[in-house]
Amino acid sequence: MAAVQPIGRANRSWSPVLRRVALYATLALVALAIVFPVYWMVTISLKLPREIYRLPGLWPQAPTLENYRELIVERGFLINIRNSLVVAGATTLASVGMSTLAAFSIVRFRYRFKGLVGRLILFAYLTPTSLLFIPLSVIVARLQLGDTLYGLVIVYLTFSVPLSTWLLIGYFRGVPAELEEQAMVDGTTRLGAMLRILLPLSLPGLAAVGIFTFTAAWNELLLALIFITNENRRTVPLGLQYLITGDVFLWGPIMAGAVLSALPVIVLYFLAQRYMVQGLTAGSVKG
Amino acid sequence: MAVVTVPGAGVRGERRRGMGFAGRNALTGYLLLVPVLLVLLGLVAYPFFYAIYISFTNRVVGIAGEWVGLANFRYLVGQPSFQRAVTNTVTLVVVTGLAKLVIGLGLALLLNERFRGRGLFRSLVLLPWAMPGFVAFLVWRLLFLPIGGGVNLLLQQVGLLDGVIDWLGQRSTALPAVMVATVWRGFPFWCISFLAALQNVPTELYEAARIDGASAWQRFLAVTLPAIRPVVLTVALLSSIWTANSFENIWIMTQGGPSDATMVFPVLAYFGMQTQRLGEAAAVSVALVPALLILVFIVTALMRDEE
Repeated sequence: MAAVQPIGRANRSWSPVLRRVALYATLALVALAIVFPVYWMVTISLKLPREIYRLPGLWPQAPTLENYRELIVERGFLINIRNSLVVAGATTLASVGMSTLAAFSIVRFRYRFKGLVGRLILFAYLTPTSLLFIPLSVIVARLQLGDTLYGLVIVYLTFSVPLSTWLLIGYFRGVPAELEEQAMVDGTTRLGAMLRILLPLSLPGLAAVGIFTFTAAWNELLLALIFITNENRRTVPLGLQYLITGDVFLWGPIMAGAVLSALPVIVLYFLAQRYMVQGLTAGSVKG
Repeated sequence: MAVVTVPGAGVRGERRRGMGFAGRNALTGYLLLVPVLLVLLGLVAYPFFYAIYISFTNRVVGIAGEWVGLANFRYLVGQPSFQRAVTNTVTLVVVTGLAKLVIGLGLALLLNERFRGRGLFRSLVLLPWAMPGFVAFLVWRLLFLPIGGGVNLLLQQVGLLDGVIDWLGQRSTALPAVMVATVWRGFPFWCISFLAALQNVPTELYEAARIDGASAWQRFLAVTLPAIRPVVLTVALLSSIWTANSFENIWIMTQGGPSDATMVFPVLAYFGMQTQRLGEAAAVSVALVPALLILVFIVTALMRDEE
Protein backbone atom coordinates (compact mmCIF):
# COMPACT_ATOMS: atom_id res chain seq x y z
CA MET A 1 0.00 0.00 0.00
CA ALA A 2 1.21 3.46 -0.79
CA ALA A 3 2.47 5.17 2.32
CA VAL A 4 1.07 8.62 2.10
CA GLN A 5 2.35 11.32 4.38
CA PRO A 6 -0.42 13.84 4.46
CA ILE A 7 0.72 16.19 7.18
CA GLY A 8 4.34 15.20 7.22
CA ARG A 9 7.45 17.02 6.19
CA ALA A 10 6.38 20.45 5.01
CA ASN A 11 5.39 21.53 8.48
CA ARG A 12 8.63 23.44 8.92
CA SER A 13 7.74 25.17 12.15
CA TRP A 14 8.13 21.89 14.07
CA SER A 15 11.44 20.18 14.33
CA PRO A 16 11.38 16.47 13.41
CA VAL A 17 12.31 15.45 16.94
CA LEU A 18 9.53 17.49 18.46
CA ARG A 19 7.10 16.01 15.95
CA ARG A 20 8.17 12.50 16.95
CA VAL A 21 7.75 13.29 20.62
CA ALA A 22 4.29 14.77 20.03
CA LEU A 23 3.31 11.77 17.94
CA TYR A 24 4.35 9.21 20.53
CA ALA A 25 2.88 11.23 23.39
CA THR A 26 -0.48 11.33 21.63
CA LEU A 27 -0.29 7.64 20.84
CA ALA A 28 0.58 6.83 24.45
CA LEU A 29 -2.43 8.77 25.65
CA VAL A 30 -4.73 7.01 23.18
CA ALA A 31 -3.25 3.64 24.14
CA LEU A 32 -3.92 4.38 27.80
CA ALA A 33 -7.53 5.32 27.06
CA ILE A 34 -8.01 2.11 25.10
CA VAL A 35 -6.27 -0.23 27.48
CA PHE A 36 -7.31 1.13 30.87
CA PRO A 37 -10.93 -0.14 30.79
CA VAL A 38 -9.74 -3.54 29.61
CA TYR A 39 -7.11 -3.61 32.33
CA TRP A 40 -9.73 -2.63 34.91
CA MET A 41 -12.02 -5.43 33.78
CA VAL A 42 -9.28 -8.01 34.19
CA THR A 43 -8.01 -6.78 37.57
CA ILE A 44 -11.47 -6.49 39.12
CA SER A 45 -12.17 -10.04 38.00
CA LEU A 46 -9.16 -11.08 40.10
CA LYS A 47 -10.10 -9.13 43.24
CA LEU A 48 -12.24 -10.05 46.23
CA PRO A 49 -15.02 -7.63 47.27
CA ARG A 50 -13.09 -6.16 50.19
CA GLU A 51 -10.30 -5.18 47.84
CA ILE A 52 -12.72 -3.77 45.26
CA TYR A 53 -14.58 -1.48 47.66
CA ARG A 54 -12.57 -0.94 50.80
CA LEU A 55 -9.04 -0.79 49.51
CA PRO A 56 -9.48 0.39 45.94
CA GLY A 57 -6.21 0.54 44.12
CA LEU A 58 -4.85 0.43 40.60
CA TRP A 59 -3.01 -2.85 41.16
CA PRO A 60 -4.50 -6.05 42.57
CA GLN A 61 -2.93 -6.90 45.94
CA ALA A 62 -4.00 -10.49 46.28
CA PRO A 63 -5.11 -11.82 42.90
CA THR A 64 -7.49 -14.77 43.14
CA LEU A 65 -9.61 -16.87 40.81
CA GLU A 66 -12.42 -17.01 43.40
CA ASN A 67 -14.73 -14.84 41.22
CA TYR A 68 -14.41 -17.27 38.33
CA ARG A 69 -15.21 -20.16 40.65
CA GLU A 70 -18.25 -18.37 42.02
CA LEU A 71 -19.47 -17.45 38.54
CA ILE A 72 -19.14 -20.94 37.16
CA VAL A 73 -20.01 -23.09 40.17
CA GLU A 74 -22.60 -20.98 41.98
CA ARG A 75 -24.05 -18.90 39.17
CA GLY A 76 -24.10 -21.63 36.54
CA PHE A 77 -22.36 -19.52 33.92
CA LEU A 78 -21.56 -22.60 31.85
CA ILE A 79 -25.26 -22.95 31.07
CA ASN A 80 -25.24 -19.40 29.70
CA ILE A 81 -22.21 -20.22 27.60
CA ARG A 82 -23.80 -23.39 26.28
CA ASN A 83 -27.00 -21.54 25.35
CA SER A 84 -25.06 -18.79 23.61
CA LEU A 85 -22.98 -21.34 21.69
CA VAL A 86 -26.11 -23.14 20.53
CA VAL A 87 -27.94 -19.96 19.51
CA ALA A 88 -24.98 -18.22 17.89
CA GLY A 89 -23.87 -21.45 16.18
CA ALA A 90 -27.30 -22.22 14.75
CA THR A 91 -27.83 -18.61 13.69
CA THR A 92 -24.48 -18.59 11.91
CA LEU A 93 -25.01 -21.88 10.09
CA ALA A 94 -28.49 -20.93 8.96
CA SER A 95 -27.71 -17.43 7.83
CA VAL A 96 -24.35 -18.10 6.19
CA GLY A 97 -25.95 -21.03 4.34
CA MET A 98 -28.84 -18.98 3.01
CA SER A 99 -26.66 -15.94 2.33
CA THR A 100 -24.16 -17.93 0.30
CA LEU A 101 -26.88 -18.96 -2.13
CA ALA A 102 -28.36 -15.48 -2.32
CA ALA A 103 -25.03 -13.69 -2.69
CA PHE A 104 -23.99 -16.18 -5.39
CA SER A 105 -27.22 -15.48 -7.20
CA ILE A 106 -26.86 -11.71 -6.96
CA VAL A 107 -23.21 -11.60 -8.02
CA ARG A 108 -23.22 -14.21 -10.78
CA PHE A 109 -26.68 -14.26 -12.32
CA ARG A 110 -28.51 -11.82 -14.51
CA TYR A 111 -32.20 -11.20 -14.03
CA ARG A 112 -34.70 -8.45 -13.52
CA PHE A 113 -35.34 -6.86 -10.13
CA LYS A 114 -31.80 -7.54 -9.02
CA GLY A 115 -31.36 -3.91 -8.02
CA LEU A 116 -34.53 -4.13 -5.99
CA VAL A 117 -33.32 -7.23 -4.15
CA GLY A 118 -30.00 -5.55 -3.41
CA ARG A 119 -31.79 -2.52 -2.04
CA LEU A 120 -34.05 -4.70 0.10
CA ILE A 121 -30.99 -6.35 1.65
CA LEU A 122 -29.37 -3.00 2.41
CA PHE A 123 -32.63 -1.68 3.89
CA ALA A 124 -33.01 -4.78 6.05
CA TYR A 125 -29.41 -4.42 7.16
CA LEU A 126 -30.05 -0.84 8.26
CA THR A 127 -33.36 -1.56 9.98
CA PRO A 128 -32.67 -1.43 13.71
CA THR A 129 -33.69 -4.25 16.01
CA SER A 130 -35.26 -1.69 18.32
CA LEU A 131 -37.92 -1.08 15.69
CA LEU A 132 -38.71 -4.74 15.13
CA PHE A 133 -38.83 -6.23 18.60
CA ILE A 134 -42.45 -5.37 19.37
CA PRO A 135 -43.99 -6.87 16.22
CA LEU A 136 -41.57 -9.80 16.49
CA SER A 137 -42.81 -10.49 20.01
CA VAL A 138 -46.35 -10.72 18.68
CA ILE A 139 -45.26 -13.01 15.84
CA VAL A 140 -43.19 -15.26 18.08
CA ALA A 141 -46.04 -15.53 20.58
CA ARG A 142 -48.37 -16.48 17.74
CA LEU A 143 -45.95 -19.21 16.63
CA GLN A 144 -45.67 -20.33 20.26
CA LEU A 145 -41.90 -20.05 20.14
CA GLY A 146 -41.58 -17.68 23.10
CA ASP A 147 -38.92 -18.52 25.68
CA THR A 148 -37.20 -21.11 23.49
CA LEU A 149 -33.71 -21.07 22.00
CA TYR A 150 -35.38 -22.04 18.72
CA GLY A 151 -37.43 -18.86 18.72
CA LEU A 152 -34.36 -16.82 19.56
CA VAL A 153 -32.50 -18.24 16.56
CA ILE A 154 -35.41 -17.32 14.32
CA VAL A 155 -35.57 -13.71 15.50
CA TYR A 156 -31.78 -13.44 15.26
CA LEU A 157 -32.10 -14.12 11.54
CA THR A 158 -33.59 -10.62 11.24
CA PHE A 159 -30.18 -9.06 11.68
CA SER A 160 -27.83 -11.92 10.81
CA VAL A 161 -29.18 -12.69 7.33
CA PRO A 162 -28.92 -9.12 5.99
CA LEU A 163 -25.48 -8.79 7.60
CA SER A 164 -24.02 -11.98 6.16
CA THR A 165 -25.64 -11.54 2.74
CA TRP A 166 -24.35 -7.98 2.48
CA LEU A 167 -20.84 -9.03 3.44
CA LEU A 168 -20.79 -12.08 1.18
CA ILE A 169 -21.89 -10.07 -1.85
CA GLY A 170 -18.80 -7.97 -1.23
CA TYR A 171 -16.49 -10.97 -1.03
CA PHE A 172 -17.92 -12.80 -4.02
CA ARG A 173 -17.56 -9.67 -6.15
CA GLY A 174 -13.83 -9.85 -5.49
CA VAL A 175 -13.53 -13.39 -6.88
CA PRO A 176 -12.96 -13.47 -10.66
CA ALA A 177 -15.74 -15.20 -12.56
CA GLU A 178 -13.37 -16.59 -15.23
CA LEU A 179 -12.49 -19.76 -13.33
CA GLU A 180 -16.12 -20.69 -12.87
CA GLU A 181 -16.80 -19.97 -16.53
CA GLN A 182 -13.98 -22.27 -17.53
CA ALA A 183 -15.34 -25.04 -15.34
CA MET A 184 -18.72 -24.55 -16.97
CA VAL A 185 -17.19 -24.77 -20.41
CA ASP A 186 -15.73 -28.07 -19.21
CA GLY A 187 -19.25 -29.25 -18.49
CA THR A 188 -19.86 -28.38 -14.86
CA THR A 189 -23.21 -26.92 -13.87
CA ARG A 190 -23.47 -23.45 -12.34
CA LEU A 191 -24.04 -24.82 -8.87
CA GLY A 192 -21.19 -27.26 -9.34
CA ALA A 193 -18.96 -24.34 -10.25
CA MET A 194 -20.08 -22.54 -7.13
CA LEU A 195 -19.38 -25.55 -4.92
CA ARG A 196 -16.07 -26.53 -6.51
CA ILE A 197 -14.58 -23.14 -7.41
CA LEU A 198 -16.22 -20.13 -5.81
CA LEU A 199 -16.66 -21.50 -2.31
CA PRO A 200 -13.14 -22.92 -1.88
CA LEU A 201 -11.72 -19.64 -3.21
CA SER A 202 -13.85 -17.64 -0.78
CA LEU A 203 -13.08 -19.78 2.23
CA PRO A 204 -11.31 -17.00 4.18
CA GLY A 205 -14.15 -14.62 3.38
CA LEU A 206 -16.74 -17.20 4.42
CA ALA A 207 -14.85 -17.75 7.66
CA ALA A 208 -14.77 -14.00 8.32
CA VAL A 209 -18.48 -13.62 7.58
CA GLY A 210 -19.13 -16.59 9.84
CA ILE A 211 -17.16 -14.92 12.61
CA PHE A 212 -19.04 -11.63 12.29
CA THR A 213 -22.39 -13.36 12.26
CA PHE A 214 -21.42 -15.50 15.22
CA THR A 215 -20.20 -12.56 17.30
CA ALA A 216 -23.25 -10.47 16.39
CA ALA A 217 -25.48 -13.25 17.74
CA TRP A 218 -23.18 -13.90 20.71
CA ASN A 219 -23.33 -10.21 21.69
CA GLU A 220 -27.06 -9.65 21.23
CA LEU A 221 -28.92 -8.44 24.31
CA LEU A 222 -32.23 -6.73 23.49
CA LEU A 223 -34.00 -9.61 21.76
CA ALA A 224 -32.71 -12.13 24.29
CA LEU A 225 -34.04 -9.91 27.07
CA ILE A 226 -37.47 -9.90 25.49
CA PHE A 227 -37.78 -13.49 24.38
CA ILE A 228 -36.06 -15.49 27.12
CA THR A 229 -37.42 -15.63 30.64
CA ASN A 230 -36.43 -19.10 31.83
CA GLU A 231 -33.20 -18.99 33.80
CA ASN A 232 -31.92 -22.16 32.12
CA ARG A 233 -32.22 -20.63 28.68
CA ARG A 234 -30.40 -17.37 29.34
CA THR A 235 -27.58 -16.50 27.00
CA VAL A 236 -24.29 -14.97 28.14
CA PRO A 237 -25.25 -11.26 27.87
CA LEU A 238 -28.54 -12.05 29.56
CA GLY A 239 -26.90 -13.96 32.41
CA LEU A 240 -24.52 -11.10 33.08
CA GLN A 241 -27.13 -8.38 32.86
CA TYR A 242 -29.22 -10.22 35.46
CA LEU A 243 -26.21 -10.12 37.75
CA ILE A 244 -26.23 -6.29 37.65
CA THR A 245 -29.95 -5.88 38.08
CA GLY A 246 -29.97 -8.12 41.15
CA ASP A 247 -30.01 -6.71 44.67
CA VAL A 248 -26.33 -7.13 45.38
CA PHE A 249 -23.77 -6.01 42.86
CA LEU A 250 -21.38 -8.86 42.23
CA TRP A 251 -18.77 -6.92 40.35
CA GLY A 252 -16.06 -9.56 40.79
CA PRO A 253 -18.05 -12.38 39.18
CA ILE A 254 -19.56 -9.98 36.64
CA MET A 255 -16.11 -8.98 35.44
CA ALA A 256 -15.03 -12.61 35.45
CA GLY A 257 -17.97 -13.24 33.14
CA ALA A 258 -17.02 -10.20 31.06
CA VAL A 259 -13.50 -11.58 30.58
CA LEU A 260 -14.78 -15.04 29.69
CA SER A 261 -17.32 -13.77 27.18
CA ALA A 262 -15.06 -11.14 25.60
CA LEU A 263 -11.98 -13.30 25.21
CA PRO A 264 -13.18 -15.69 22.49
CA VAL A 265 -14.81 -12.85 20.57
CA ILE A 266 -11.69 -10.71 20.69
CA VAL A 267 -9.52 -13.60 19.52
CA LEU A 268 -11.89 -14.33 16.63
CA TYR A 269 -11.99 -10.67 15.66
CA PHE A 270 -8.26 -10.36 15.46
CA LEU A 271 -8.10 -13.53 13.39
CA ALA A 272 -10.61 -12.06 10.97
CA GLN A 273 -9.14 -8.58 11.18
CA ARG A 274 -7.76 -8.44 7.66
CA TYR A 275 -11.07 -9.35 6.16
CA MET A 276 -12.92 -7.20 8.59
CA VAL A 277 -11.14 -4.09 7.38
CA GLN A 278 -12.24 -4.96 3.85
CA GLY A 279 -15.79 -5.38 5.02
CA LEU A 280 -15.48 -2.18 6.95
CA THR A 281 -14.67 -0.08 3.95
CA ALA A 282 -17.87 -1.39 2.53
CA GLY A 283 -19.38 0.19 5.61
CA SER A 284 -20.93 -3.07 6.39
CA VAL A 285 -20.21 -4.31 9.88
CA LYS A 286 -22.41 -3.11 12.66
CA GLY A 287 -20.47 -1.53 15.44
CA MET B 1 -14.87 5.25 -1.97
CA ALA B 2 -13.07 2.02 -2.42
CA VAL B 3 -15.96 -0.12 -1.42
CA VAL B 4 -15.35 -3.81 -1.82
CA THR B 5 -12.46 -3.38 -4.17
CA VAL B 6 -13.10 -5.40 -7.26
CA PRO B 7 -9.69 -6.12 -8.72
CA GLY B 8 -10.71 -5.94 -12.36
CA ALA B 9 -12.98 -8.90 -11.86
CA GLY B 10 -16.42 -9.83 -12.89
CA VAL B 11 -17.30 -6.99 -15.16
CA ARG B 12 -16.16 -8.54 -18.40
CA GLY B 13 -17.36 -11.99 -17.42
CA GLU B 14 -20.73 -10.75 -16.30
CA ARG B 15 -21.45 -9.33 -19.69
CA ARG B 16 -20.38 -12.46 -21.48
CA ARG B 17 -22.44 -14.69 -19.24
CA GLY B 18 -26.16 -14.99 -19.37
CA MET B 19 -26.44 -14.83 -23.12
CA GLY B 20 -28.12 -17.82 -24.70
CA PHE B 21 -29.73 -19.67 -21.86
CA ALA B 22 -30.68 -16.52 -20.00
CA GLY B 23 -34.18 -17.68 -19.16
CA ARG B 24 -33.19 -20.85 -17.36
CA ASN B 25 -30.40 -18.95 -15.64
CA ALA B 26 -32.76 -16.36 -14.30
CA LEU B 27 -34.97 -19.07 -12.83
CA THR B 28 -32.02 -20.66 -10.99
CA GLY B 29 -31.03 -17.20 -9.82
CA TYR B 30 -34.46 -16.56 -8.37
CA LEU B 31 -34.59 -19.96 -6.71
CA LEU B 32 -31.28 -19.33 -4.94
CA LEU B 33 -32.74 -16.13 -3.52
CA VAL B 34 -35.81 -17.76 -2.01
CA PRO B 35 -34.55 -18.55 1.53
CA VAL B 36 -33.07 -15.09 2.07
CA LEU B 37 -36.11 -13.39 0.54
CA LEU B 38 -38.40 -15.34 2.86
CA VAL B 39 -36.43 -14.12 5.86
CA LEU B 40 -36.28 -10.54 4.61
CA LEU B 41 -39.96 -10.36 3.81
CA GLY B 42 -41.24 -12.44 6.71
CA LEU B 43 -38.93 -11.33 9.51
CA VAL B 44 -37.96 -7.81 8.51
CA ALA B 45 -40.38 -6.22 6.03
CA TYR B 46 -43.55 -7.67 7.55
CA PRO B 47 -42.63 -6.74 11.16
CA PHE B 48 -41.57 -3.30 9.95
CA PHE B 49 -45.01 -2.50 8.55
CA TYR B 50 -46.67 -4.39 11.37
CA ALA B 51 -44.87 -2.11 13.87
CA ILE B 52 -46.27 0.90 12.07
CA TYR B 53 -49.75 -0.61 12.12
CA ILE B 54 -49.56 -1.47 15.85
CA SER B 55 -48.48 2.08 16.63
CA PHE B 56 -51.87 3.28 15.35
CA THR B 57 -53.81 0.88 17.60
CA ASN B 58 -54.40 0.56 21.32
CA ARG B 59 -53.12 -3.00 21.30
CA VAL B 60 -52.13 -4.59 24.61
CA VAL B 61 -50.55 -8.01 25.10
CA GLY B 62 -53.13 -10.65 24.24
CA ILE B 63 -55.75 -8.27 22.81
CA ALA B 64 -55.57 -7.06 19.23
CA GLY B 65 -56.85 -3.57 19.98
CA GLU B 66 -58.54 -1.01 17.77
CA TRP B 67 -57.41 1.66 15.38
CA VAL B 68 -56.88 4.86 17.34
CA GLY B 69 -55.24 7.02 14.71
CA LEU B 70 -52.57 9.33 16.05
CA ALA B 71 -53.69 9.01 19.67
CA ASN B 72 -50.54 7.16 20.78
CA PHE B 73 -48.29 9.76 19.22
CA ARG B 74 -50.31 12.60 20.69
CA TYR B 75 -50.05 10.96 24.09
CA LEU B 76 -46.28 10.45 23.72
CA VAL B 77 -45.55 14.02 22.71
CA GLY B 78 -46.97 15.13 26.06
CA GLN B 79 -44.85 12.67 28.05
CA PRO B 80 -41.74 14.09 29.74
CA SER B 81 -39.89 10.78 29.30
CA PHE B 82 -40.54 10.89 25.56
CA GLN B 83 -39.40 14.50 25.34
CA ARG B 84 -36.23 13.50 27.18
CA ALA B 85 -35.73 10.64 24.72
CA VAL B 86 -35.93 13.08 21.81
CA THR B 87 -33.43 15.58 23.21
CA ASN B 88 -31.15 12.84 24.55
CA THR B 89 -31.07 11.04 21.21
CA VAL B 90 -30.23 14.22 19.33
CA THR B 91 -27.51 15.08 21.87
CA LEU B 92 -26.16 11.55 21.82
CA VAL B 93 -26.00 11.32 18.04
CA VAL B 94 -24.54 14.80 17.48
CA VAL B 95 -22.03 14.92 20.34
CA THR B 96 -20.74 11.36 20.04
CA GLY B 97 -20.72 11.72 16.25
CA LEU B 98 -18.54 14.82 16.40
CA ALA B 99 -16.26 13.26 19.00
CA LYS B 100 -15.86 10.10 16.95
CA LEU B 101 -15.22 12.17 13.83
CA VAL B 102 -12.47 14.22 15.47
CA ILE B 103 -10.83 11.30 17.28
CA GLY B 104 -11.29 8.88 14.40
CA LEU B 105 -9.97 11.23 11.73
CA GLY B 106 -7.11 12.54 13.85
CA LEU B 107 -6.01 9.06 14.77
CA ALA B 108 -6.39 7.80 11.20
CA LEU B 109 -4.12 10.60 9.99
CA LEU B 110 -1.56 9.67 12.66
CA LEU B 111 -1.76 5.97 11.84
CA ASN B 112 -1.27 6.77 8.18
CA GLU B 113 2.17 8.20 8.94
CA ARG B 114 5.18 5.97 9.18
CA PHE B 115 6.48 5.15 12.61
CA ARG B 116 7.71 2.21 14.59
CA GLY B 117 5.00 0.05 16.10
CA ARG B 118 2.39 1.24 13.64
CA GLY B 119 1.07 -2.24 12.89
CA LEU B 120 0.71 -3.00 16.57
CA PHE B 121 -1.11 0.24 17.19
CA ARG B 122 -3.51 -0.34 14.32
CA SER B 123 -4.51 -3.62 15.95
CA LEU B 124 -4.79 -2.00 19.36
CA VAL B 125 -7.26 0.56 18.04
CA LEU B 126 -9.63 -2.26 17.13
CA LEU B 127 -9.78 -3.55 20.70
CA PRO B 128 -12.77 -1.52 21.99
CA TRP B 129 -14.71 -2.44 18.93
CA ALA B 130 -13.79 -6.13 19.05
CA MET B 131 -15.18 -6.32 22.57
CA PRO B 132 -18.82 -7.30 22.80
CA GLY B 133 -20.93 -4.19 23.39
CA PHE B 134 -22.53 -5.49 26.55
CA VAL B 135 -19.07 -6.24 28.01
CA ALA B 136 -17.75 -2.79 27.11
CA PHE B 137 -20.71 -1.05 28.77
CA LEU B 138 -20.60 -3.30 31.83
CA VAL B 139 -16.96 -2.35 32.25
CA TRP B 140 -17.76 1.36 31.86
CA ARG B 141 -20.55 1.11 34.39
CA LEU B 142 -18.02 -0.34 36.79
CA LEU B 143 -15.46 2.33 35.89
CA PHE B 144 -17.93 5.09 36.75
CA LEU B 145 -18.81 3.66 40.19
CA PRO B 146 -18.36 6.24 42.96
CA ILE B 147 -16.43 3.80 45.13
CA GLY B 148 -14.32 1.12 43.55
CA GLY B 149 -14.65 2.74 40.10
CA GLY B 150 -11.54 3.31 38.06
CA VAL B 151 -12.40 6.79 36.81
CA ASN B 152 -12.61 8.38 40.26
CA LEU B 153 -9.55 6.48 41.37
CA LEU B 154 -7.52 7.61 38.37
CA LEU B 155 -8.61 11.24 38.82
CA GLN B 156 -7.75 11.09 42.52
CA GLN B 157 -4.32 9.66 41.84
CA VAL B 158 -3.54 12.37 39.30
CA GLY B 159 -4.79 14.94 41.77
CA LEU B 160 -7.71 16.21 39.69
CA LEU B 161 -10.38 15.03 42.08
CA ASP B 162 -10.96 15.33 45.78
CA GLY B 163 -13.71 13.09 47.13
CA VAL B 164 -16.00 11.06 44.87
CA ILE B 165 -18.37 11.68 41.99
CA ASP B 166 -21.33 9.38 41.37
CA TRP B 167 -21.07 9.77 37.61
CA LEU B 168 -24.02 7.62 36.61
CA GLY B 169 -26.11 8.43 39.66
CA GLN B 170 -26.63 12.16 39.16
CA ARG B 171 -28.54 13.84 36.37
CA SER B 172 -25.84 16.25 35.29
CA THR B 173 -23.11 13.67 34.64
CA ALA B 174 -25.05 10.55 33.62
CA LEU B 175 -25.49 11.38 29.93
CA PRO B 176 -21.93 12.66 29.45
CA ALA B 177 -20.63 9.48 31.11
CA VAL B 178 -22.70 7.29 28.80
CA MET B 179 -21.41 9.32 25.87
CA VAL B 180 -17.80 8.74 26.90
CA ALA B 181 -18.42 5.00 26.90
CA THR B 182 -20.27 5.20 23.57
CA VAL B 183 -17.41 7.08 21.95
CA TRP B 184 -14.86 4.66 23.39
CA ARG B 185 -16.67 1.72 21.90
CA GLY B 186 -17.53 3.42 18.59
CA PHE B 187 -14.47 5.38 17.45
CA PRO B 188 -12.48 2.40 16.06
CA PHE B 189 -15.11 1.89 13.34
CA TRP B 190 -14.59 5.49 12.20
CA CYS B 191 -10.83 5.35 12.55
CA ILE B 192 -10.34 2.14 10.59
CA SER B 193 -12.74 3.20 7.84
CA PHE B 194 -10.96 6.55 7.48
CA LEU B 195 -7.57 4.87 7.50
CA ALA B 196 -8.60 2.55 4.67
CA ALA B 197 -9.86 5.57 2.73
CA LEU B 198 -6.66 7.51 3.36
CA GLN B 199 -4.61 4.64 1.99
CA ASN B 200 -6.50 4.90 -1.27
CA VAL B 201 -5.66 8.56 -1.85
CA PRO B 202 -3.16 8.61 -4.73
CA THR B 203 0.28 9.82 -3.60
CA GLU B 204 0.68 11.83 -6.80
CA LEU B 205 -2.02 14.23 -5.68
CA TYR B 206 0.03 15.13 -2.62
CA GLU B 207 3.16 15.49 -4.71
CA ALA B 208 1.37 17.81 -7.13
CA ALA B 209 -0.02 19.89 -4.28
CA ARG B 210 3.41 20.06 -2.69
CA ILE B 211 4.99 21.25 -5.93
CA ASP B 212 2.32 23.94 -6.13
CA GLY B 213 3.50 25.09 -2.73
CA ALA B 214 0.47 24.05 -0.71
CA SER B 215 0.96 23.92 3.05
CA ALA B 216 0.12 20.80 5.05
CA TRP B 217 -3.21 22.29 6.08
CA GLN B 218 -4.01 23.34 2.50
CA ARG B 219 -3.14 19.86 1.28
CA PHE B 220 -5.45 18.38 3.87
CA LEU B 221 -8.30 20.64 2.74
CA ALA B 222 -7.65 20.35 -0.99
CA VAL B 223 -6.57 16.72 -1.35
CA THR B 224 -7.32 14.59 1.71
CA LEU B 225 -10.74 15.87 2.62
CA PRO B 226 -12.35 15.69 -0.85
CA ALA B 227 -10.86 12.23 -1.36
CA ILE B 228 -12.27 10.76 1.84
CA ARG B 229 -15.50 12.76 1.91
CA PRO B 230 -17.78 9.93 0.71
CA VAL B 231 -16.38 7.59 3.36
CA VAL B 232 -16.79 10.20 6.07
CA LEU B 233 -20.40 10.75 5.03
CA THR B 234 -21.25 7.07 4.84
CA VAL B 235 -19.64 6.28 8.18
CA ALA B 236 -21.29 9.26 9.86
CA LEU B 237 -24.72 8.25 8.59
CA LEU B 238 -24.33 4.57 9.47
CA SER B 239 -23.06 5.46 12.90
CA SER B 240 -25.93 7.92 13.44
CA ILE B 241 -28.45 5.22 12.62
CA TRP B 242 -26.81 2.79 15.04
CA THR B 243 -26.34 5.34 17.82
CA ALA B 244 -29.89 6.62 17.61
CA ASN B 245 -31.13 3.06 18.00
CA SER B 246 -28.61 1.72 20.46
CA PHE B 247 -30.13 0.00 23.44
CA GLU B 248 -27.39 -1.74 25.34
CA ASN B 249 -25.20 1.27 26.15
CA ILE B 250 -28.04 2.98 28.01
CA TRP B 251 -29.70 -0.16 29.29
CA ILE B 252 -26.59 -1.59 30.87
CA MET B 253 -25.18 1.66 32.25
CA THR B 254 -28.25 3.56 33.49
CA GLN B 255 -31.51 1.97 32.28
CA GLY B 256 -32.49 5.47 31.19
CA GLY B 257 -32.08 6.97 34.66
CA PRO B 258 -31.59 8.78 36.93
CA SER B 259 -35.16 10.09 36.44
CA ASP B 260 -35.05 9.86 32.63
CA ALA B 261 -31.78 11.81 32.37
CA THR B 262 -30.48 9.24 29.87
CA MET B 263 -33.78 8.00 28.42
CA VAL B 264 -33.67 7.00 24.74
CA PHE B 265 -36.20 5.55 22.31
CA PRO B 266 -35.31 1.84 22.50
CA VAL B 267 -35.26 1.83 26.32
CA LEU B 268 -38.56 3.69 26.46
CA ALA B 269 -40.07 1.24 23.98
CA TYR B 270 -38.76 -1.65 26.06
CA PHE B 271 -40.33 -0.21 29.22
CA GLY B 272 -43.54 0.34 27.28
CA MET B 273 -43.56 -3.27 26.27
CA GLN B 274 -43.07 -4.39 29.85
CA THR B 275 -46.23 -2.53 30.80
CA GLN B 276 -47.94 -4.58 28.06
CA ARG B 277 -49.18 -1.50 26.19
CA LEU B 278 -47.87 -2.49 22.78
CA GLY B 279 -49.55 0.33 20.86
CA GLU B 280 -47.73 3.04 22.77
CA ALA B 281 -44.49 1.08 22.86
CA ALA B 282 -44.59 0.60 19.09
CA ALA B 283 -45.34 4.29 18.65
CA VAL B 284 -42.10 5.10 20.48
CA SER B 285 -39.97 3.17 17.99
CA VAL B 286 -42.07 4.26 15.02
CA ALA B 287 -41.59 7.91 15.98
CA LEU B 288 -37.98 7.48 14.89
CA VAL B 289 -38.88 6.03 11.50
CA PRO B 290 -39.13 9.27 9.48
CA ALA B 291 -35.66 10.39 10.59
CA LEU B 292 -34.38 6.86 10.07
CA LEU B 293 -35.80 6.65 6.54
CA ILE B 294 -34.15 9.91 5.53
CA LEU B 295 -30.79 8.63 6.77
CA VAL B 296 -31.29 5.23 5.13
CA PHE B 297 -32.18 6.77 1.78
CA ILE B 298 -29.07 8.93 1.83
CA VAL B 299 -26.86 5.95 2.78
CA THR B 300 -28.40 3.81 0.07
CA ALA B 301 -27.84 6.50 -2.51
CA LEU B 302 -24.24 6.95 -1.39
CA MET B 303 -23.49 3.24 -1.46
CA ARG B 304 -25.06 2.83 -4.89
CA ASP B 305 -22.99 5.71 -6.25
CA GLU B 306 -19.87 3.90 -5.28
CA GLU B 307 -20.74 0.73 -7.14
